[in-house]
Amino acid sequence: MMKLKWRDKWLERKAIEITVQQSRRVFVTVSQDDFRKTMERLVKIKGFTQIATITGVDIGKEIEVIYHLKHKELVLSLRTRTSKKEPVIPTIVDLIPGSALYEREVHDLFGVTFIGNPDLSPLLLPEGWPDDVYPLRKKWTSEIIKHKLEGS
Amino acid sequence: MSTFRIPFGPQHPALKEPINFTFKVDGERVVSVKLRLGYVHRGIEKLAEDRTYTQNIHLVERVCGLCSQAHVICFSQAVEEILGVEIPARARYLRTIIAEMERIQNHYMWLGFTAHEMGFETLFMYTWRDREIALNMVETITGKRVNYGINTIGGLRRDLTAIAVNPVKRGLDQLEDRMKYYKKLCMTEPTILKRTVGVGILRPKDALRFGAVGPTLRASGIKRDIRFDDPYAAYEEASFNIITYDGCDVASRLLARCEEVFESIEIIRQMLDNLPKGKVRVRVPSQVPQGEAVSRVEAPRGENLHYLRADGTDKLARLKMRAPTLANLLPLCKMFENMNIADIPMIIAGIDPCIACAERMTFIDTENRSTNSWTGDELRKYSIGWYEER
Repeated sequence: MMKLKWRDKWLERKAIEITVQQSRRVFVTVSQDDFRKTMERLVKIKGFTQIATITGVDIGKEIEVIYHLKHKELVLSLRTRTSKKEPVIPTIVDLIPGSALYEREVHDLFGVTFIGNPDLSPLLLPEGWPDDVYPLRKKWTSEIIKHKLEGS
Repeated sequence: MSTFRIPFGPQHPALKEPINFTFKVDGERVVSVKLRLGYVHRGIEKLAEDRTYTQNIHLVERVCGLCSQAHVICFSQAVEEILGVEIPARARYLRTIIAEMERIQNHYMWLGFTAHEMGFETLFMYTWRDREIALNMVETITGKRVNYGINTIGGLRRDLTAIAVNPVKRGLDQLEDRMKYYKKLCMTEPTILKRTVGVGILRPKDALRFGAVGPTLRASGIKRDIRFDDPYAAYEEASFNIITYDGCDVASRLLARCEEVFESIEIIRQMLDNLPKGKVRVRVPSQVPQGEAVSRVEAPRGENLHYLRADGTDKLARLKMRAPTLANLLPLCKMFENMNIADIPMIIAGIDPCIACAERMTFIDTENRSTNSWTGDELRKYSIGWYEER
């Protein structure tokens, strides 16, 4: 059996799903309510002080936000979901300062608000970009975005 | 004392990725800096969702002209993981060879670019001349100088011909000789020392806090390298050193990259000498089953990460790519603190940005609202002149 440094009784109790893809890749899903607590535990106790990036995925009614945390050879992808109507997630910039740009990126492209992040100003989208267009949501296909921008 | 706000960037026609920094300065010293990206946001992640996996190989390869191999390996690995395909050993070795050649040509190019930024044009000309050796080697193997088009899901599209091995080995010897000379130069030449030693300090604590990657991280004394920590392709079978320096400044970043070239040359030699025989490709289905994968590669500039989600069709559901420069931007902001305006170009060059230089800078005098614009070239001349006086 491979050594699983991330293994944690608390996490196993809280998690909705844990998938060990291979020895160096783990996926953990937690509810939106448990997210901040889980992140604190992973960063402070389990030593996942590094983040590779944050991925947003449009899964229909919800937006999935995946935090790819690093610990030496291991990448633990912690995921949580938030409603598309009002997508909010607590920030982690106080725990991992290196996540600031990644949160701004997801905010730009998916419209997720990271509560507590002091700077969510546009990072990638141009000035004057329409407020309600989040280009990586599935609803906005390349054609619609093009049409909308040409029309405005 | 009043502070000035200096918008720096976003564009320069000669360089690849524009970026805008707004520097707050107090006299000559940088107090803080704010970032704005997106001037070349091409929406590649969105485009990828409209394309088949085979089409995406070519799209991903064009994310970056210099790290095309790093991106395409990263993407192929993610697809191969979901498919459960193991590629032939020979393909793993050849991927490693091309990835290391890419690192060599990138580091040569970067050395020249940095020399140009400090006004050392002779070194710039020499390194870019020698970089041609590396590009010719890549061309011998793949048929192209950039965007090699040799990778595919399941291995490689073409095999290495026996006739290519000797020219490649000769090229490696030349590159090694030249880099020995450049490394000596970087350690002794007064112009280089004056512009790099103690410039752009990034303490190990900050490097980790802000998530630096690649040579930028290793020049702050942190021994971390995806090739070693999370090996892919044939790196597990190669023996090489992870180069670290603890000067935490641009000088350390220079030397770390110079020495990395020696390690890359060594890896290619080992790979060529032990190259397994056999096929270079396994055929894979065009539809990929449901699943997800995280793939990491050590690109020339540092960790490159792709997250892929497949939904069972021939098109992918989501592809997230995080190139190393984005990870190095927050550490870069940290490096500017308390440095001189004249050091800005060298510090930016120090992380080997895919953004490179900046188009113009404007000085805004907050007291009498006068504006004073400089071009990026003028800033470069200003910094060279500033140092000449000292």
